[in-house]
Amino acid sequence: MSELRLADLNRVFMVGRLTKDPELRQTTNGTSVANFTIALNRRYKSATGEWKDEATYVGVVAWQKLAELCKQYLAKGRAVLVEGKLQNRNWETEDGQKRSTIEIRADRIEFLDREGRPSIGAGTPGQESSPEPVHGEEPAFSKSDDDLPF
Amino acid sequence: MTELKIPNLNRVLLAGRLTRDPELRFTPNGTAVCNFSMALNRRFKDQAGNWQDEPTFVNVVAWQSAAENIGKHLHKGSPVLVEGRLESRSWETETGQKRNSLEVRADNVRFLERFESTAAAPGPEEPSESPDI
Repeated sequence: MSELRLADLNRVFMVGRLTKDPELRQTTNGTSVANFTIALNRRYKSATGEWKDEATYVGVVAWQKLAELCKQYLAKGRAVLVEGKLQNRNWETEDGQKRSTIEIRADRIEFLDREGRPSIGAGTPGQESSPEPVHGEEPAFSKSDDDLPF
Repeated sequence: MTELKIPNLNRVLLAGRLTRDPELRFTPNGTAVCNFSMALNRRFKDQAGNWQDEPTFVNVVAWQSAAENIGKHLHKGSPVLVEGRLESRSWETETGQKRNSLEVRADNVRFLERFESTAAAPGPEEPSESPDI
């Protein structure tokens, strides 16, 4: 039997809502990078049998075209499905202490809100034919990360 | 058309090796909890066409029988496949500062190592119940 090697497996799937508008910046060589945080909810039954909600906040980073699309179409409160991998992020606090956390590097982000769709109970019948500029572009954006500066 | 609701989706799949021996302890009411850190490797080609390895370090927590099995059978360097969800953990430093970090709460940990003797083998899979606390 031949030797096996350990699988290169690092995959996450999360659905949540943005806690703030995404921040878009450019690296020194002009690559776009977007950062935002999503709040995930988990509903569970407590020991006393009541339903409880528990929020987890996870940082997401997207690069290049995906980063620009996030800036364009996402805002605080929007729902997204994020697919990607976990990565470490290290930073220093203002007083010079080293900190480290994990965040998601997104490969694919699906925008779950229907853009331009009137919300329930609002809007007038017949407005559905009004232009929806984002329609057709909203489903999913993905890209390969082979050539990222990282 | 029916209204959709947002699914509560929080799923993580990782394979890697333990960076140190796992720490098994018991809560005051006797529940086993095991913390360990694992290193995942990503191999990629850089712009010059050379293969590079990039490690990622992730902290994992497992509970109950899975925690005991991990504490008993795994050690620094052991290969594992972990399935679970991301969870925040808050704690206070010695100086009283509040800290927050993300870790993976495992609900399924598979041992990827072949054990020498079958008698000592913990089995291919260690299912676990996650207690909802």
